[in-house]
Amino acid sequence: MMPSLPIWQFDVLLLVLVVLFAVVALSIRNLMGAAVVFGAYSFMMCLIWAGMGAVDVAFTEAAVGAGVSTVFIVSTIYNTSATMRSRPGGMAFKLFIGVVVTLAGVFLLSALPDFPDWGDPNSPANATVAPYYIENSIRDTHVPNLVTSVLADYRGFDTLLETIVVFIACIAIYSILRIETAKSKTDEPEEDIATAPPSYDPSDSLIVRQASRFMVPFMQLFALYVIAHGHYSPGGGFQGGVILGASLILLAISFDLKFLLRQWREKPLMLLVASGVCLYATVGLACMFTGGNYLDYGSLDSVLPNDRAMARSHGILLVEIGVGITVMFSMLAIHINLASNGRFDRGL
Amino acid sequence: MENLIANFNYVIVVILMMIGLWSMLAQKNLIKKCIGMAILQTGIILFFISIGAKNNALIPILTEAAYSDPDVATVANPLTQILMLTAIVVGVATLGVGLGLAQKIYHQHSSFDEDEILENQRK
Repeated sequence: MMPSLPIWQFDVLLLVLVVLFAVVALSIRNLMGAAVVFGAYSFMMCLIWAGMGAVDVAFTEAAVGAGVSTVFIVSTIYNTSATMRSRPGGMAFKLFIGVVVTLAGVFLLSALPDFPDWGDPNSPANATVAPYYIENSIRDTHVPNLVTSVLADYRGFDTLLETIVVFIACIAIYSILRIETAKSKTDEPEEDIATAPPSYDPSDSLIVRQASRFMVPFMQLFALYVIAHGHYSPGGGFQGGVILGASLILLAISFDLKFLLRQWREKPLMLLVASGVCLYATVGLACMFTGGNYLDYGSLDSVLPNDRAMARSHGILLVEIGVGITVMFSMLAIHINLASNGRFDRGL
Repeated sequence: MENLIANFNYVIVVILMMIGLWSMLAQKNLIKKCIGMAILQTGIILFFISIGAKNNALIPILTEAAYSDPDVATVANPLTQILMLTAIVVGVATLGVGLGLAQKIYHQHSSFDEDEILENQRK
C-alpha cells in the first residue's frame, strides 16, 4: 500500500525534524544558540520545499532564511546580550496562552478534512488560473522558468509593491536605529573612516579573512549569473540580490565593518537602494510611453530589436535587475545598521 | 489515519503556526518573539507550497521538449511559489525591522525581558 500514499517517508522525517528544530530554537536559553538552530530550521524547511518542486522558493529560503536572517539575529545579539534572564513564576500565564493557542490549533485542524488532498492536481489552487501560466508562458514571454515569468510579468504589480515593501523596511530601520555620529560623540577622538587603518582584532583568524577574500568574487559572479540566468534556471532578482548582499556582509564580518564602510558610504548606499525601485518603476513608465499599459513589457518591442514576446523577456530582465539592486543594498544597509547599532562606524 | 498521513503537511503547518503564535504571546524575550514570528511565517509559507504541490509533477521550469505544448499535470503550480518567494524576502525585511526595534529597546532599558521593560517604564 505504500506507493499509493501521496507522501513518502523522507518528507515525514523532514517535517518532524522541522517541528523539533522550531521547539529547540524557542526553548534554548542562549540566544546565539537559538539563532543558529533557527538557521538549521530554515535549511530543513528549504529541503522540504525543494522536495515539493518549489526550487525557486527553496533557493530563496537557503539564501534568505538560513543565511541573511541568521546574520541579522547574530548582529543584533552582538550589540546587546545573548543571555536570557530567568525569573520565577509566569508559568500560569504561559499555560493559559498554551491553552488558547491549542484551541486555535484544534479549530484549524478541524478544517483538515475539507482540504483538497495533498498533491491533488485538480484542487482549486492548481486548476483555476495556474494552468494559464503554464500553457502560455513560452508563447507570451519565451521564458521557460514559469516562476520568473509569473513573478516579473504576469504579476509584475505584485512584485513591484513587494520591492517597495523591502525599500520601506530599509527606511524604517534607518529611522529606528540611525544615530548621527556627531551628536553621539562624547570623548572619542574624531576618526575618518576613509583614512583610518582597518582595525583587525588580533583574535580574528587570518585563514577566515583570506578565504573570504578569495570567495567573495566567486559569490558575486554566481549571484550575477543567478540574476541573468533566472529565465532558464532557478533564480532571479531576489535570490541574486540576496547573494550579492550576503557577499558584502561576509566581507564585513570576516574583516571589519570599517573595511566595508570605506567602500560603501552611507549616502550612495541609500541612493542605490532607491535606484532599484526607480528602475523597476521606470520600466513600467517606459511601457506606457511606448503605447502599452503600465508594466506591459510587450509594447517595448517598438524600441527593442525583437518581437513582442522577446521584448517581454527583456523587460523581465530589466525588472529583475532593479529588484536585485534594491534587495542587495537594503540587506547590506539593514546589516550595517544592526551591526553598528545605527552609528555606521564600527561593529560586528 | 489514512487521512492524517495524506494531509500530514497541513498538520505540521498547524503545529508550526501554534508554536510560533505561542512564542509570540508567551515568551518574554523580544528576540524569541522575533524568532517565533519567523516560525509562524514559515508555517504559512509551507501551507501555500503544500496546496500548490502536485503528485508526480516536475519543477515549474519547462524542458525544451515541452515548449510547444506543456502538459499542465506534470508541472508544479508556479503561482503559489511566486507568492511565497516574495513573502520570504519581505519576511526577512520585517524581521530586520523587528530586530531593529528590539535593539533600540535594549539600549533604552538594557533588557530584552518584557516584564523588566514594563517595570522600567512605570518608574
